Amino acid sequence: MRARDAGRPRAAATLAGLALGVVLAAGAAPRAAAAPVALPPATRATLKNGLTVVILPSSRLPLVDFRLVAGAGSVHDPAGKEGLAALTASLLTQGAGGRDARAIADTIAFVGGTLEAEASAEQLVVTAEVLRKDFALGLELLRDVVARPAFPAAEVERRRDEAVGAIAAERDDLWDLADRSLLPFLYGASPLGHPALGWEASVAALTREDVVAFHDRRVRPDNAVLVVVGDVEPKAALEAVGRAFADWKRGRGPAPAPYPPARREGARAVRVVSRPEITQSQIRLACPAVPRGHPDEFPIRVANAILGGGFTSRLVNTIRVERGLTYRIRSAFTMHRGAGAFTISTFTRNATLRACVDGILEVVGTLVRDGPTEAELDKARRFLTGQFPLGLQAPDALAEQLADAEFYGLGPGWIAGFDAGVNAVTLDDVRRALKSYVCVDDLRLLVVAPPDSARAALAGLGPLEVVEAP
Amino acid sequence: MSPRAVAALLALPLLVPPAPAPAAAAKRPKPAVAAPAAAPAFSAASLKVQRHVLDNGMVVLLAEDHSVPTVTLWQWFKVGSRNERPGITGISHYFEHMMFNGSRNVPPKEYDRILESAGGYSNAFTDRDMTAYYEDIAADRLDVPLFLDSDRMASLSLAPASLASEIEVVKEERRMATDNDVYGLLDEHLWATAFLASPYRWPVVGWMGDLERITREDCVAYFRTYYAPNNCILVLAGDFRPDSALARIRAAFGAIPRQDPPAEPPDSEPEPLGERRVEVHFAAESPAFMVGYRSPAAREADFAALEVLDRVLAGGESSRLHQALVYERGLALEVTTAFQPMLGPGLIQFWVPLRPGAAADEALAAFDAELERLAGAGPTDAELEKARNLIEADFVKSLKTNNGLGQALGFHEHVYGDWRAMFDRVARARAVTAEDCRRVARAVFDARRRTVATLVPAPAASAEAVR
Repeated sequence: MRARDAGRPRAAATLAGLALGVVLAAGAAPRAAAAPVALPPATRATLKNGLTVVILPSSRLPLVDFRLVAGAGSVHDPAGKEGLAALTASLLTQGAGGRDARAIADTIAFVGGTLEAEASAEQLVVTAEVLRKDFALGLELLRDVVARPAFPAAEVERRRDEAVGAIAAERDDLWDLADRSLLPFLYGASPLGHPALGWEASVAALTREDVVAFHDRRVRPDNAVLVVVGDVEPKAALEAVGRAFADWKRGRGPAPAPYPPARREGARAVRVVSRPEITQSQIRLACPAVPRGHPDEFPIRVANAILGGGFTSRLVNTIRVERGLTYRIRSAFTMHRGAGAFTISTFTRNATLRACVDGILEVVGTLVRDGPTEAELDKARRFLTGQFPLGLQAPDALAEQLADAEFYGLGPGWIAGFDAGVNAVTLDDVRRALKSYVCVDDLRLLVVAPPDSARAALAGLGPLEVVEAP
Repeated sequence: MSPRAVAALLALPLLVPPAPAPAAAAKRPKPAVAAPAAAPAFSAASLKVQRHVLDNGMVVLLAEDHSVPTVTLWQWFKVGSRNERPGITGISHYFEHMMFNGSRNVPPKEYDRILESAGGYSNAFTDRDMTAYYEDIAADRLDVPLFLDSDRMASLSLAPASLASEIEVVKEERRMATDNDVYGLLDEHLWATAFLASPYRWPVVGWMGDLERITREDCVAYFRTYYAPNNCILVLAGDFRPDSALARIRAAFGAIPRQDPPAEPPDSEPEPLGERRVEVHFAAESPAFMVGYRSPAAREADFAALEVLDRVLAGGESSRLHQALVYERGLALEVTTAFQPMLGPGLIQFWVPLRPGAAADEALAAFDAELERLAGAGPTDAELEKARNLIEADFVKSLKTNNGLGQALGFHEHVYGDWRAMFDRVARARAVTAEDCRRVARAVFDARRRTVATLVPAPAASAEAVR
């Protein structure tokens, strides 16, 4: 089943729970009272140029996955150049190491492999997946696109035009449009306040010089981690990686200053993104929350599972199962290095917009006020610990977990310690997490909806503004 | 909108229980790899699969793999929207939802609570040919899904209150994935236009009017016929002992009585006599089109060559259509296909979202030129080999997890009647020649056997009046 019409998952949203490793929706973690996760030992080294390398062997299938993560995401886009990180990432595979775009695409496809590069809020990620016999080729291509990109002028122009088109396409997808519109509403002028793709006007003005400078400054070995998972012999693989990246030069100049955490505003605000023609309204409720590695990370994960993870959370139970108001609802804590957000995402038909928002506020308010039951806490712990190992089976998924543990400085024991972290969470911890990080009175409510009916439906919830799709 | 595979994935011998070392993992034979390039990367001998048939007709596939201490339990019911009739379209998918809403010993809401309390997770999907359910759970808790799933197969409640509430959820799903989504709208119009009589013509989610019309009596009859054990393939993949697992499966499901086998749905589809076109006017910024050509059923001889052609045309950035429409002409944002093995003749479907301002007719002409070129001269040797390698690698990648392995087994057991067909597909693709490709391209990519659905972007302001 290769396309989206192949089936209709009961809740596709929850399947995406681990998408970036920083979104803590449902489906993130292992099992209470059973064996904790134990991985075979990883080989970890830092090359002379500062590149951190982690290698984990596994031989069930003849596959090798590479994942290189550089601290070069859209938070590093200079003001007015929003979209630069994403454009830079998309250009890495469009000419590098003596191959042009076509040759790179042909070479990796010929061996049935994949080679992809993209930027998110904080990470520029390059991945390659090849059969074991093609290890050397996969490593060579990965090295070339990361360390030796050519950025041909014609490709820069082409990719920039494509990015402008992709922004328009993102506006045509209502779920994406809501997520895209939420960022400036939630983060304001923070570096997190724009989508990775950028804005049309800023992208249209990007030049090859911008791209070259961004790559030169940020895609550097001392600002990156490379994880290799698969059917490899660790010592030989490490040597091969060391040889491949030996010429990659360390960055010059100081590390950039971290951006300030986003603050909660203290009062509720409502924004309507105008789409007069649609029959179903997109809804987001959000507020700034905490960064990755926060001391309350495990209580927050458990609290989120109880509120809006899995099929038995409070939100799913009330809004979907009991009231039939939506097909998909979830809550999530997105955690970046310097800041984070709490978000509830759903949709409903236009006529039930207010009923849906009121229902959510009621569920959230009740849980924050009264806390969960012991049974809910127990279920959430078992669910989180039961799901965690499932997300570590595939080599690419495991590579992502390992890379994130490095990127966010979670420590080598993070994966092995997940069960203990979850199981140590008490009822008091969850109550504290709910009261501290789940917003009620000061949340931002964003809807994508026909403006006239939405304005009427949302009256009284807070100061309301209507805007065009950004 | 890139293709989103429904499932697939996983499993490495990485999650090792700390106490007892996984002796079985160490004993597994190494897959043949460093061998000559022509040798398959992975073969049927790499898997330990048993096939059993219970007395009530339920097929049981057991795929033993001790790499990780988890199991996936799949159930494939041989029913999809092709088994419906006008007036109750969407009932198969509605059932997919109702299977979680209560049975004799599992009250409403308890299914997921019991499963998640045991650390498990469940999901399901419906397609034209099938409805499939799975649970992922720790290996030592296999009895939990066996209890839940046998109880609902034996005694689904279909309580009126649950039916009434769940149909609203389904309608929201339809509004999300079809009524307010350009891909969903074009997809629905394409299939409904491409077929006149085939039960493939209506959407899996069902027409909105029919969703209002389905009665509890329809559901009861549907359940009895299609959710019988003799209409089900159960697949267990992961960490278990086959003898013990089979005994427990038999204890859970063995007493559920078989039913008369369902009748094959009629397919009176006539041969198409000319190209069909359909327009969809919808508020959007970018134009797009979708093209569907009649494709052979999975078991027909030409299917393998069409799988190769699919990769040559749209298998990634180096494919012909991407190069022509995205890279060289700058008309499209991407070109992807939806094409999979089906029980009956279906469609190979191309999705071409365009850049804002691009002309759909110009893009369609460029698309046509590529298909004509391929049908005329066939693929190059390098393209042919690349396509075969992609098919093989995609297959290996689909087995990364217990879930993916179980999905591959169940899908092929249902659609091909034999799980081993998943290896045959790779072998058949390897045997496809350039001449096969030319012949099949000429037969399939015939403009008189195709349907084109075009999205005409409507400005938002006027759209409000229209809708």
